[in-house]
Amino acid sequence: MKFLGIRLGSIALGLLGCGLIQVIANGQNSFIQLLVILAGLYVTLAVSLNLINGITGQFSIGHAAFYQVGAYTAGVLARSFFDKLHLHPLLWLVLVMIAGAIGAAIAGLVVGLPSLRLRGDYLAIVTLGFGEIINIIARNQETLGKAYGLDIAPRISSVFMVWALAFLTIAVCRNLLKNVHGLTFLAVREDEVASAAMGVDVTRVKVAAFVLGSAFAGAAGALYAHALGFISPTNFSMDVSFIILTMVVLGGTGSITGSALAAIVLFYIPEKMRDLHPMPVSSIVAGAIAIVVTVAVVKRVADNFRGSRRNKTLIIIGSIVGGVVIQLIFSTILRGVPSLQQMVEGSKLRLVVFAVTLVILMLLRPEGVFAHHEFSWSWVKKLLGHADIPETEMSA
Amino acid sequence: MVAGLELFTLPQQLVNGLLLGSIYALIALGYTMVYGVLKLINFAHGEVFMLGAYAALFASWALGYGPGGHAGQSSILNLAIMLLASMSFCALVGVVIERFAYRPLRNQPRIASLITAIGLSLLLQYGGQIFLLNGVPQSISGNVNPFPGQVSISLRGADKVALAKAEELKPAMIQTQADLEAQLKNEKSRFDLSPKGEALEKKAQEAKRSYDNLIDVANAKTVGINIGYGKIIMFVAVLGLMGILTYLVMFTKRGRAMRAVSHDFSASALMGINVDSIITFTFILGSSLAGAGAMMLATFQSGTKIDPFFGMAYGVKAFVAAVLGGIGNIPGAVLGGLLMGVAENLVDWAGFSNYRDAIAFVILIVVLLFRPGGLLGSAKVEKV
Repeated sequence: MKFLGIRLGSIALGLLGCGLIQVIANGQNSFIQLLVILAGLYVTLAVSLNLINGITGQFSIGHAAFYQVGAYTAGVLARSFFDKLHLHPLLWLVLVMIAGAIGAAIAGLVVGLPSLRLRGDYLAIVTLGFGEIINIIARNQETLGKAYGLDIAPRISSVFMVWALAFLTIAVCRNLLKNVHGLTFLAVREDEVASAAMGVDVTRVKVAAFVLGSAFAGAAGALYAHALGFISPTNFSMDVSFIILTMVVLGGTGSITGSALAAIVLFYIPEKMRDLHPMPVSSIVAGAIAIVVTVAVVKRVADNFRGSRRNKTLIIIGSIVGGVVIQLIFSTILRGVPSLQQMVEGSKLRLVVFAVTLVILMLLRPEGVFAHHEFSWSWVKKLLGHADIPETEMSA
Repeated sequence: MVAGLELFTLPQQLVNGLLLGSIYALIALGYTMVYGVLKLINFAHGEVFMLGAYAALFASWALGYGPGGHAGQSSILNLAIMLLASMSFCALVGVVIERFAYRPLRNQPRIASLITAIGLSLLLQYGGQIFLLNGVPQSISGNVNPFPGQVSISLRGADKVALAKAEELKPAMIQTQADLEAQLKNEKSRFDLSPKGEALEKKAQEAKRSYDNLIDVANAKTVGINIGYGKIIMFVAVLGLMGILTYLVMFTKRGRAMRAVSHDFSASALMGINVDSIITFTFILGSSLAGAGAMMLATFQSGTKIDPFFGMAYGVKAFVAAVLGGIGNIPGAVLGGLLMGVAENLVDWAGFSNYRDAIAFVILIVVLLFRPGGLLGSAKVEKV
C-alpha cells in the first residue's frame, strides 16, 4: 500500500510540477515560453541519450538524427491529417508524440541492429553517419520540403506536454534501474563478457536501450515540430548531437539527474552568450592561454599532490584565481597587437564553449560532475546529517 | 536509356574515382594506424587534414600566390615546399594532440579518449572559424600547378562514317559563310538585312547546323579519359608516399616495434619497446600523410574550397574506407580508400549526385552487417 502511495504521490507531484512550469511560463512573453519548451526538450534528449551512453555504456553521437525523424514524422502527419481529424490539439499532440516515437524507434532499430552486434566504437561512427544520411534525405525529398523545410500548420506549444514528456523520460529511466530489465543494462555497461556468461542477451539489451532512447528523442522531436511550427534540416545539424552529448558527459555518464541538470545549465549558458557584446580576438587568445595554464596546473595537482585535502582544494582554487589573473594580464598585453583586434560575436563562441567543456572535463574529471551519483532524498538527508538510510547508488 | 547512365563517361568517372580515392587512402592510413596502436578512433584526424590544407594555403601565399600576388610560372620546387610545410605542420599538430589530449587519458576508460577526440575535433572546427581567416572559404590559386595541361586518352575514336560525311559538308559551309561575309560588307547594318542578305544568312546557318549535328553524332560515340598532369603527379606522389610508408612499417626497427605494439600493447611494453615513442611515431606518420593528402587535394583538385569544416566530411569518409578495408590493416586502408572514391563517383555517374555523401554510410552499414572485419581484415572482430 505504501509502495502504491509513493508511486501515485510522485506521479501527482511530477504532474503538479509540470503544471507549475506551465503556469509560470504563461505569464511570460512567447520567446521565454519557447525557451522553457526548448529547455524541457533538451532535458528529454539528454536523459534519453544518457540511457544509451551512460546507463548501457554504448556511445551514440548522432542523437539529433532521431530527434529529426520524430520531428519530420510529426510534420508529415500534421500536413496530411490534422485538418481532417478535428481532434483537440492536446490529444493530437499526444498522438503525434507516439507516432514520432515509433518512427524514431524504427530508425533506431535499423541503425542499432548492425552496429550493436559488434563491440567497439562502431556505433559512434554509424550514428554520426546516420545523422548525415537523414539530413541528406530530408534535403532531397519533395515530401520533406527539401532544403527549405516543412511548415507545420497548427502551432501547438504546450509547456505542460513538453515537461510531462521530460518527467516521463526521467521516470522511465529511474524505474528501469530498479527492476530486472534495467539491471541488465547496467550489467552490460560494467562487463559485457561477464553479463553474457550470466545469461544476459547482450545484443538484445543494447538494442533495447538504443531503441528506447531513440523513441524518447523522437517524441521530443514531434513536440519540437509543433512548438516551432516550422522545421528545416539545419535545425538538426551535427551540432545539436554534440550539444546533447556534452550535456550527458557533463552531467556524469549514468546519472539521470546529472544529465537533466546539465541539460538545463548548458542550455541556459549559450542562450546567454547570444547577448554578449562582440569581443576582440586578443581577449579570446588570452582566455585560451589562461585556460591551458589553469588546466595544466589543476591536472598536475589532482594527479600528484600528496598533501591534505584542504591544501589541495586551496591550491586548485588558487590556480583558478591565477587563471583569471593571467587572462587579465594577457588581454592587456595583447591589446597592443594590431593583428588581433578583429571583433568576434559572442554567438560564434557558443560551440567552442561546448568543445572546451568536453576536453577539460575529460582531462580533469572524466566521470562527469555527478559521476554515477544521483540527486536523491537520501543523499540530501545524508548531507543534513540524517545518515540512517543507506545511500542508494545505481552503479554496482 | 536513363538520363544519367551514359556508358561513355564511365571510364572517366572510374579514373576520377581512383584519383579521389587515393586521397581517401592517405587519410585512411592515419586512422587505421592510430586505431591499430591505440584502439582509438582519432576523430580529430579530419581536422588535422583541414589544418594541413590551411598550411598548404599559407605556404602558397608565402610563395607569392596569394590574393593579389602575381608570381609567374610555378615549379616542382614550390610544390615540394608546400608539401613539406603541410606535412611537417600536420605531424606537429598530431604529436601535440597525442601528447596533451590522449596520453593523459590512456589509463582511463576508452570512452574518455573518444569524447576528448570529439571535443578536439569540435574545438579545431569552431576555433578555426574564429582564428583561420574568419572561416571564409579560400582556395589555392590554380597558378601553383606548374603543369596546367591534361592528357587525353582515347579509348574509342569518333564515328568515322559521320565524320567523313561532315568533312563532305565542310566546303559548302565555308563557302556559304564566305558569301554571307561578302554580302555583309554591302549591308548597312547586321540587324537590318536586305532580302538577298537574309537568304544568304539563312543558308549559312542551315549549312552550319547540319555540319554541327554530324560532328555531334560523330563525337557522341567517343570514349576517352582526360587527366590533368597535376593529378598524375598527385597519384605518383601518393604511390611514392605509400611506398615510403611500407618501407618504414615493414623494414625498419621502429616499424617492427609499431607492429608489435599494434599486436599486443602491454606485451610489447614488457619486451622493452618504448611504447610512448612508438605512439608518437605513429601519430607523426599518420598526420603527415593526412597533411600530404590535404596539400595535394587542395592544389590539384581545382575549386576545392578550404574552410574550417571541410575536414569533417573527408575524415568520416576516410574512416569508413579504413573500416571497409579492415581497420588496423594498412593495405586494407589503401584498398578501402580507392573503393570509396570509385563508389562515390559511381553514385555521381548514376545520377544521384545529391546522395553522394550518403554512400559512405550505406557502405559502412553493409560492411558492419556482412563482414565486420573488413575486406582484408581478420575475422576476429569481437562479436557479442
